[in-house]
Amino acid sequence: MALINTTTTGVLGTTVYGDGQGSLAVQKDGVTQGIYGNIPAFSVYLGTLQNVTTNTFTKVLLNIEEFDTNNNYDNATNYRFTPTVAGYYQINGNITLNATLINGNSLAVIYKNGSRYKDGNLQSASSGGALFYSVVSTLVYFNGTTDYVELWGLVNGTGSPSFGVNTGTQSYLNGYLVKAT
Amino acid sequence: MTLYEKIISLYPELATYNFISGVITLENAGKGDYIAKWEHPTLAQPTKEQLEAIE
Repeated sequence: MALINTTTTGVLGTTVYGDGQGSLAVQKDGVTQGIYGNIPAFSVYLGTLQNVTTNTFTKVLLNIEEFDTNNNYDNATNYRFTPTVAGYYQINGNITLNATLINGNSLAVIYKNGSRYKDGNLQSASSGGALFYSVVSTLVYFNGTTDYVELWGLVNGTGSPSFGVNTGTQSYLNGYLVKAT
Repeated sequence: MTLYEKIISLYPELATYNFISGVITLENAGKGDYIAKWEHPTLAQPTKEQLEAIE
């Protein structure tokens, strides 16, 4: 990664040469102001119908990667995004539940470090219904080492629901770095 | 029988309970259902033995 680090005692007009590889980080007095170039971004979706127990928060086992520019998403074991660049990330998720529910609700949730972090919209239906959608979108801070997020979903009511697939359009998670720290 | 169904069998009054509230949280991270949190003001968290006894 190339680095430009300006200081209050620096020389104006100086040309800085990087190593020509990876992203470009701009710092002020050693503090990162932004990262340019290969901004970490990822997009994953559910590739196999996943059955869900009602009234139970269930991790969505998102196993298909569309892209993962910094290899930060685990699509085989823990199904989580653990970025290695610290900063603020925009995270978006959606769940679609295939179900015919009576008095049903669906809720998408972002879990951070194993705990419920931000809820999405709650979709309700008093009777019947074939597809239940819920979207969650939030800004998340990651420390660049141990912080991670996962997409979870809850459905209640009476029925036998499952997280939908439909070639990646129904249950998915994506995100990108907004500001490095 | 799922964990939720066993809990309802033990505490029928929870059949209309809103599990989104977070007072009682059941979770499944891919390896089976478990009780992640139980802070109900009057009902005690079921023991492993109580749950296993329900068929």
